[in-house]
Amino acid sequence: MIRLRDVGFRYDAAGTSAPVALRQISFEVPQGGFRWLLGPSGAGKSSLLRLLALTARPTSGTLEILGSSVAQARRAALARLRRRIGVVHQDFRLLPDLPVFDNIALPLRLQHRPEDDVRDEVHSILDWVGLGSRATARPPQLSGGEQQRVAIARAVIHRPALLLADEPTNALDEYQANRLMDLFRDLSGLGTTILVATHNDALIRRYPAHELELAQGRLLRDG
Amino acid sequence: MAERPGLLTRWNQARRADGLALRRALPDRLLPLLVAAMAVLAALALAGATGAQILSTRWSNGAASMLTIQVPDPETPTTTAGTTTHLTRSDAVLAALADSPGASRVHRLDKAELGALLAPWLGQDHDFALTLPAIIELHMAAGTQTDATALARRLAAIAPGTLVERNAEWGERLGRLADSLHSCALLAVAIVAGIAVVLIAATTRAGLAARRLPIELIHAMGATDGYIAGRFARRTALLAFIGGLAGSVLALPILVLLSRVAAPFAAAAPAPAPAADWTMPAHMLLATLPTPLAATLLALAPAAALIGWLTTQATVRAWLRNLP
Ligand SMILES: Nc1ncnc2c1ncn2[C@@H]1O[C@H](COP(=O)(O)OP(=O)(O)OP(=O)(O)O)[C@@H](O)[C@H]1O
Ligand SMILES: [Mg+2]
Repeated sequence: MIRLRDVGFRYDAAGTSAPVALRQISFEVPQGGFRWLLGPSGAGKSSLLRLLALTARPTSGTLEILGSSVAQARRAALARLRRRIGVVHQDFRLLPDLPVFDNIALPLRLQHRPEDDVRDEVHSILDWVGLGSRATARPPQLSGGEQQRVAIARAVIHRPALLLADEPTNALDEYQANRLMDLFRDLSGLGTTILVATHNDALIRRYPAHELELAQGRLLRDG
Repeated sequence: MAERPGLLTRWNQARRADGLALRRALPDRLLPLLVAAMAVLAALALAGATGAQILSTRWSNGAASMLTIQVPDPETPTTTAGTTTHLTRSDAVLAALADSPGASRVHRLDKAELGALLAPWLGQDHDFALTLPAIIELHMAAGTQTDATALARRLAAIAPGTLVERNAEWGERLGRLADSLHSCALLAVAIVAGIAVVLIAATTRAGLAARRLPIELIHAMGATDGYIAGRFARRTALLAFIGGLAGSVLALPILVLLSRVAAPFAAAAPAPAPAADWTMPAHMLLATLPTPLAATLLALAPAAALIGWLTTQATVRAWLRNLP
C-alpha cells in the first residue's frame, strides 16, 4: 500500500533556480495494485519513482510506503523499508566491476541470506531472463537488452513488496517485453505493488491497466 | 548435489561481493606505512614518558624525609679544644645525630652501598683510589621539620667540613623535571594520535568518494549506515593494526637500546639488567624492557586499530547523512 498526499518535490532544495519536479501529487495504490506511470519526457516520472524508492525525500506533503509514514521514520526503519522495494532504474545502475551473478545477488546478500540460497535463487532467475550462461560476465560486456534483463532480475530476486520499474522495456524486444509483463502480472497477483513508467504505447495497449499520467510535474489523470 | 563451500569461503564471498571493493577504495600501502611511522613516534614518546615516570619515582622515593650527611676524612680522630680524642670524626657525628630530636634512623652507608651509589658514575668496580667521605643517611620521623642549616652548624662544630644536604630539595626538583618530561611525552603521544585521526578520516573520505556509486546503490537497496560504516571501519582497523604492529617492531630495538642506557639510573640497585642481545627473537627483546614500556609497546597496534575503527565509523556515518 502506498499513499501520497499533496507531495511536492524539487531538486536541490537550497537552490532557488532548481525546477520544481513534482507538485501536489496525491494518489493511492493498494497492495498488489498495478499502475502505468505515463507522461512526456521531463514530466517527473523518474522523480516520482525516486520518492517512492525512498532515495529522495519529498519537499512537501506526506508519503506513506508499505504502511509506514516516511517523514517520521528513523534511518534504520527506512533502510528496512528499502530492502522490501525493488527498482529497475532507467539507466540500469549495474556495478560494472562485479560479475552479473554478484550484481543480481546484491539484494539477497544485503539481507544476509545463506550463500546456498543465494546461488540457487540467482541461477534460477538468470535462466528465466535467458542469461544462464553469462553469470560471470561483467555488465559492460553485455548488450543493452541483456543489461536491462540483469537490472530486472536484480529488482525482483528478493520478492519485493513494492516494485518500481522505470522504462523497463526500452531495450527489450517485443518477446522479452511481453514475458516481463507476464512476470509483473504474476507478481501483482502474489501481492506485489507495481508501478511501471513507460513511453511504450504498444505495450500499454497490449496490457491495459490503471494509469497515472503526469505532465510538468502534475498528476493529470488517475484512472 | 553441488559442493558446499566452507563457512569462511561463503562469508568472504558475501563480504567481497557487495560492490564496495574496499581493497581499491582503501589501498593497503600508504595508510599502514604512515601509521607505522606514527607508531614509532608514539613508541619513542611513550618511552620518554615511562622513563620520566620511573626516574621520578626513584628520585622522590623516600628522599623526602631524609638528610644526607657527608663527613670528609671520616677516620681522623676529632679534636676538642686542641686535644685529640679517641673518637673518629664519623663516630662523633653519628653520636651527635643519634640523640638529635626527630631522628628515626641513622645509617652510615657501608662500602658496598657507597659503591652502588657511585656505580652509575664510576662503574661497578668497588676499589676506589680516592678516600671517600662517610655518607650518613638521617631518616626523620614523619611530620618532623628539620632545620638543615642549624644541624649543619652543629655538626661542623664537631667535625669541621661536614656537609648536610636535604635530599627532599633535589628529589623535588628532579621530580618536577621528570613530571614535566612526562607531560611533554604524553602531549606528543596525544598529538600523534590526533594526526592519526585526521589522516584516517581523510583516507576514509577519499575512499568514500572513490566508491560513491556503489555506496549510493547499496544504500538505496537498504544497506544500513551501520553495515556500510562497519565495512569501511573493519578495513581501516586492519590496515592501522598492520601499521601499528610494524611500527612497534621497528621501535623495539630503539627502546631496548634506550632502556639499556637508562638502566643504571632507573634501577633501585644496579642489578645487572637482563642483557639484550640483538640476535634474540622479538619477544625476548621485549622482555628486557621495563614492564610498563613493554605493555605500552604491545598496546600500540590495538590502539591504532581502535583509532582507525572509531574514526572511520564516525567519518562514514557523517558522510552517509547526506543520503536520504
Ligand atoms: N538530478 C536532477 N537535478 C536537477 N533536476 C533534475 C534532476 N533529475 C531530473 N531533473 C528535472 O526534473 C524534471 C523531471 O525529470 P524526470 O527525470 O522525473 O522526468 P521523466 O518524466 O522521468 O522524463 P523521461 O521520460 O525523459 O525519463 C525535469 O525537468 C528534469 O530536468
Ligand atoms: Mg525518467
